[in-house]
This record gives sequence, C-alpha cells and structure tokens, in this order.
Amino acid sequence: MLRFSSCSRAFALACLGVALSAGQALAHCFVGARFFPATLATDDPCVADEMSLPTVAWSKTGDVPAATEWDISADISKRITEDFGITIGDTWSNIHQPGGFTKAGFGNLDATVQYQLLKDGPHELALLVGLTVEWGGTGAIDSGLATPWSTLTPTFNFGKGFGDLPDSFGWLRAFAVTGQIGYQFPTRSFDVDTGTFIPQVLVYGGSIQYSMPYLKSEIHDYQLPDFINHLFPIVEAQFATPVANNFGNSPITIGTINPGVIWVGTYFQVGAEAVFPVNHASGTGVGFLGQLHFYLDDIFPTTIGRPLLGGSSAPPQQLKF
Amino acid sequence: MPVRILLISLLLAALSNAAAHAHAFLDHASPLVGSTVASAPREVSLTFTQNLEAAFSSIQVTGPNGARVDAGKPQISGNTMHVGLKAAGPGTYHVRWHALSVDTHKTEGSFTFSVGGR
Repeated sequence: MLRFSSCSRAFALACLGVALSAGQALAHCFVGARFFPATLATDDPCVADEMSLPTVAWSKTGDVPAATEWDISADISKRITEDFGITIGDTWSNIHQPGGFTKAGFGNLDATVQYQLLKDGPHELALLVGLTVEWGGTGAIDSGLATPWSTLTPTFNFGKGFGDLPDSFGWLRAFAVTGQIGYQFPTRSFDVDTGTFIPQVLVYGGSIQYSMPYLKSEIHDYQLPDFINHLFPIVEAQFATPVANNFGNSPITIGTINPGVIWVGTYFQVGAEAVFPVNHASGTGVGFLGQLHFYLDDIFPTTIGRPLLGGSSAPPQQLKF
Repeated sequence: MPVRILLISLLLAALSNAAAHAHAFLDHASPLVGSTVASAPREVSLTFTQNLEAAFSSIQVTGPNGARVDAGKPQISGNTMHVGLKAAGPGTYHVRWHALSVDTHKTEGSFTFSVGGR
C-alpha cells in the first residue's frame, strides 16, 4: 500500500518500498464473536470476498528536497473455496519533486493466493498463509515506478482477539491484535541497469485495534451514539528490512507507524490513518492514508460474494443448545 | 490501462445493482449488555441489524448457578429474537446467541447481565 518511492533515487529503498506495498489482500473477517476489520497498511488474517476501491495515500519522501507522493490503489479479493482465496491489486502513483521531476504511472500488478489455516472462534484466533507475486514488467518501468523483475513473498498472518479473557478484564476484552511477516524474494539478484544488487527483504507489521462494536455487544452497552459504536480505533505499523543480497545498498530498516480509525458499516467500511515515518529514509513529515472498502459477501450474498466452489460461506445447520 | 478501467467499471456497475443483505449484528439487548437490573427479567430480547432465519437462530441463557434458565423455544420475528426466563434469583446471567441472517450469513456472540446489584 505505502510506496516508499523516494526510493526512485535510492535503489535499496525502492526495493523496500515495493516490499511494503506487497501483500495487500484485504478480507471480511469474522472469528467467533470477533470481527477483524480490513486494515489499511497491513493485511487482516482472513480470506474473503472484498474490494478496496480506492485506497489513497499521501506522503513526502525522504529526498532533499522532499518529493510529494500520491498513491491510489485498488484490489479485489475472491474466495475460490471457503478457505482459499485470491487477491489482485494495483497502484497508480504520482511523485512530484518541487523544481524537479514528476513521475506518474502504475506499479506492477500483484496477485496473492491465501489459505485459511485456522479460525478458532472461542479463542478469537485466526491464522493465514499466503504467497504474493508482483508481476515484473506489468507497470511503468520507464518511470521507475515498477521493476522489470518479479518478486515472491510468502507471508504468514495472524489475528487474536482478547474476548476470551476472564470477564474481570472488562473493557480490555475488546482489544485485538493482528500481525504479518513475510520474506520477499526477487526473481533477479542483480539489476544490470543500475549495477546494484536486488536484496531479499523481510516485511513485517501488524496492528493493535479496539472494537467499539465488540464493547457494545459483548461487554457493556454504554448506549453511546451509534456512530461511536461502529468505530475501531487502531494503530498499524509496517516495516521492511533487507536481510540478504544487499551488497552496497543501505541496510536500514524503513517503516511507518499509523494511528487512525476505521468506521465499519453494514456493506462497507471507511478508514483513515496518519502516517508517521520511523526514520528519514522512510519519509518526512506526517502522511495520510485513507480507504473505502466494500464487503462483497454482504453486497452480493448469492452471487460473487460466495466461494466459487464448495457452496455457501455459512452452510445452514440446525443450532441446538 | 483500458483493461484496468474496464475491470473497475464492471465492479462499480455491479455494486450499483447490489441487493441489500448482510451479517446480522446484535444491535441491542434487553436487559442491556453488561447491565445490572434490580430484579430478574421475565425474558431476554435481542434485536439484530438484519432479519433472521428462525430455524437456524438460537439463544441460550444460564443463571447464576450455571444451569439453563431459558424457558421454551426462542421466539423469532423479523430482526428480533426473545426467550422467556425461569426465575433464578440474583447473580450473573450469561447469554449466548447464534444468528443466521436471511442471506445465510452466520454470526454469534455472548454477554452477561447481573440481577440484584451483586
């Protein structure tokens, strides 16, 4: 999602930016009584039928003088079976440096396949594995916004709600965390055009989130205004660290910390986050990230909102206590 | 580029023609979630954000001693589900519910309320 394309000048940082932009497979995620909203900068731990359109990011790069960058992206996720899904996404970027260059164009298309390892309702625990492929040569290579080589990023995601804590924990039970870690392999180890090595990158991040809907329906209904009861205050963080084949490039970790809030409705959600770079290489100043996200399984419950194979997302079964 | 625009246009067109069904969230309960009431209520009532499939939605209430206190079959009408309670005295009551909305989305949840200000 976030592209650290200041990296158009710093090759290693460009690779890290690509790494951070990978793996945006967003999902509608129920685990027991817990709902994990689609997070903006990282991924949530479920496969589902959903679409982010658009995700908009604004930031200033770490260049001197700093360039202004807009990223507008879209992705769509589709379940093939109940536990297996795919996501396809792309990002259009515009980078403008005052008195200098302006670059605009699409990044490489990326596709992700994911498998739901576990959904443990009583413990509000979800585990997910996936593989993201960014298809080299499908974006604006000439503008420096895409690479001619592909990257492969196997990723592990988890989500854990704290609703299974004893009742004495009270309102703290509405907290949840998500996390992801991936390892990005480029399909080339050396870029002959720039004469630099293409590093392998560890990409990781997560979120801590508070569910006002959970507080209201599971812990204590304070009869707050309806708008408040739909909110998820959240802090996301995402990082990328080159770990191999990085000869001659900067070894520095880049990343951002994003406090924000997500409003969850019946058919869509809206999220907004401030973006704080963790160091100068990650950018300058405070950026912005916003997203409009649709729940396709709720909008199209009988058609494209269902898995292609294996029937309904929720096969009816007679409930007995 | 044209392929990208075409895909986005198709998605937007599909969205504009969407039917309106969704997961059934608990909108409010009586007694209120987490509340304390002076005397034992005669029933628990749950109101959801979507209409329910009566055959596949259910509610269970346990009283202060852990025994079931829901009496009879839950009554479900539209987006509301309620069940009568047997007298069980003061203490903490646990409510567990499962709901299937009319478009077959399944949700579940649980909460407590207290009787008698314990």
